Amino acid sequence: MDSQASQAEYDGDFGSGAIRPVAELRGVSKSFGEVLAAQDLTLRIEAGEFLSFLGPSGCGKTTALRMLAGFETPTSGEVLIDGERVNDLAPYRRPVNMVFQSYALFPHLSVADNVSYGLRQRRPRIERRTIQDKVTRALETVRLTGFEKRRIWEMSGGQQQRVALARAIVNEPKLLLLDEPLAALDRKLRKEMQIELQDLQRQLGITFVLVTHDQEEALSLSDRICVMRAGRIVQIGTPQDLYDNPQSRYVADFVGVSNFFDGAVFIDAGGRARLRLAGGLEFEGRAVGDLAAEGEACLSIRPEQIRLSREPLEGGLEVVVQNRIFLGEHTEYLVRHAVLGPVIALAPRQSEIGASGFVQGERAWIDWPDGAALIMRRI
Amino acid sequence: MRIYSFCVYLFLYTPIAIIALFSFNAGRHASQLQGFSGKWYGRALDNPFVMDALETSFLVAFASATIASVLGTLAAVGLQGIRGPARALFDAVIYIAVMIPGIVIGIATLIALVTVFDQINPWLAALWPEGGAPPTLSMGVGSLIAAHAMFTMALVIIIVRARLSSLERELGEASADLYATPFGTFRQVTLPLLAPAILAGFLLSFTFSFDDFIIAFFVAGSETTLPIYIFSSIRRGVTPEINAIGTMVMGASLVLLIIAQLILRRGDRR
Repeated sequence: MDSQASQAEYDGDFGSGAIRPVAELRGVSKSFGEVLAAQDLTLRIEAGEFLSFLGPSGCGKTTALRMLAGFETPTSGEVLIDGERVNDLAPYRRPVNMVFQSYALFPHLSVADNVSYGLRQRRPRIERRTIQDKVTRALETVRLTGFEKRRIWEMSGGQQQRVALARAIVNEPKLLLLDEPLAALDRKLRKEMQIELQDLQRQLGITFVLVTHDQEEALSLSDRICVMRAGRIVQIGTPQDLYDNPQSRYVADFVGVSNFFDGAVFIDAGGRARLRLAGGLEFEGRAVGDLAAEGEACLSIRPEQIRLSREPLEGGLEVVVQNRIFLGEHTEYLVRHAVLGPVIALAPRQSEIGASGFVQGERAWIDWPDGAALIMRRI
Repeated sequence: MRIYSFCVYLFLYTPIAIIALFSFNAGRHASQLQGFSGKWYGRALDNPFVMDALETSFLVAFASATIASVLGTLAAVGLQGIRGPARALFDAVIYIAVMIPGIVIGIATLIALVTVFDQINPWLAALWPEGGAPPTLSMGVGSLIAAHAMFTMALVIIIVRARLSSLERELGEASADLYATPFGTFRQVTLPLLAPAILAGFLLSFTFSFDDFIIAFFVAGSETTLPIYIFSSIRRGVTPEINAIGTMVMGASLVLLIIAQLILRRGDRR
């Protein structure tokens, strides 16, 4: 079991102890009546990083964000911002700002008045001139110069999104919290805003914490992703870490696409982990995560790791091509193996079979390089 | 169906139209038209009894509508924080308050006030310093304002609540997130967004109080509001002057109600 790359190691990559984290969750749990929304969340958020909470709806990611913002009080555990315990600090006393999923812009105020709202609440009062300058600069940053006097309902969805961003960043918060900020935008606009968000974060150096259920969004934006499931943190790591070293089927499935084959894990004479499947098949694989030495497990292989061939491959598996989807750069093949069932393979355009391609019903062979197969928990 | 609805409107509005028509009657009898004239309007506005009653009505309507708007808004905002069975109970009680017949409210308010005054007046007399005449609480403008404010407050609560529930919850959170204290949020976000509903509630309350006869009849004491004046004049016979006053009251009420509707609709669009 070579890869016991635990969460602690991933966390360590960033923290390195020298700089105090901007925010921290220490064993934080939150229950709403009988429902446990978040359980034992422990996490350090480092200064200047772009962190995402990723998971399906109801996994507790929004609860985690709302506890950082101060809208929810943890049932147990500690929330720290800038080294100070803020469990009982009201939202309006926290140096964090949030971009809401619905934007929550004030409909009775102009764009400029929306953006200056936070600055106008500060005591002692900030000078009017200074407020104006900051608002101008914030609107410039989100490319909305000249929209100061506009009313909110005169703005498009994408523009409203930018007003919401400007309204938050103008306060120079320690943490910028983003609750599914791009969910309401159409696909093309979402792509654009993703790039803008990333630029903005680099330009401002503010720590961003994003909540999303969109794995692509999390992968393309984040320095680190915190994958959540049923109120718990499942794995934290850089996008590449999560993709290459998922510790469980849940993560492998949520971050990218993978083929999974259920079986029983055991350690062979050479000390290597192997998975025994039905029909007498056996595969070697790299065991990851906290996996028992023996028992139920599954094998995970990414589609792009699978090699397809017309010629019989030594130690390969014979399959029948069932379906072909042309994706431009790649062609996705759905093939069927007598024991494994359906397998997805991704063939690059330039590969030997890419140009002509297989046809439906054609016989083929598949295999994968050593180390491409991971043996992991089934959940 | 079309004829049917035409008849309904005919029955509803013919009497009102006739009152308006006869208010311009040149003759002095209410039942036969004798040419067109606006003199009864002038006569009505010159009548000191009418003007007194009008003044009382305005004062009561303005004061009770103001009290109802302030207390009603606060109640609606406060109720927003309550959930579960308590909320359902409050909702039911408010709707019942609107549906109770005016005569019941009138009698109930009268009995309640008389009982309270009977309890308080001896105390006031006892506590009052020697030498001066102690004040005694009795029916009058004060009791009128109180009775109307109590009833119209329920109207304001219903209108403001409707608007409140259509506001995004996130707006309050966004304000708190942007460093506004709870009071700051109320003043800068909640209140401006509720303003159309509050104003509409005020106008409705004003109209209700201004037009109300039944409750006023019980609690007015020796005061005379315009509807009470009209009622007592009618006993001496319907004159074009009464028609003129009635038409003016109706016109003013209609204008206020239309304004209230417009404000509410504009508020909803935003």
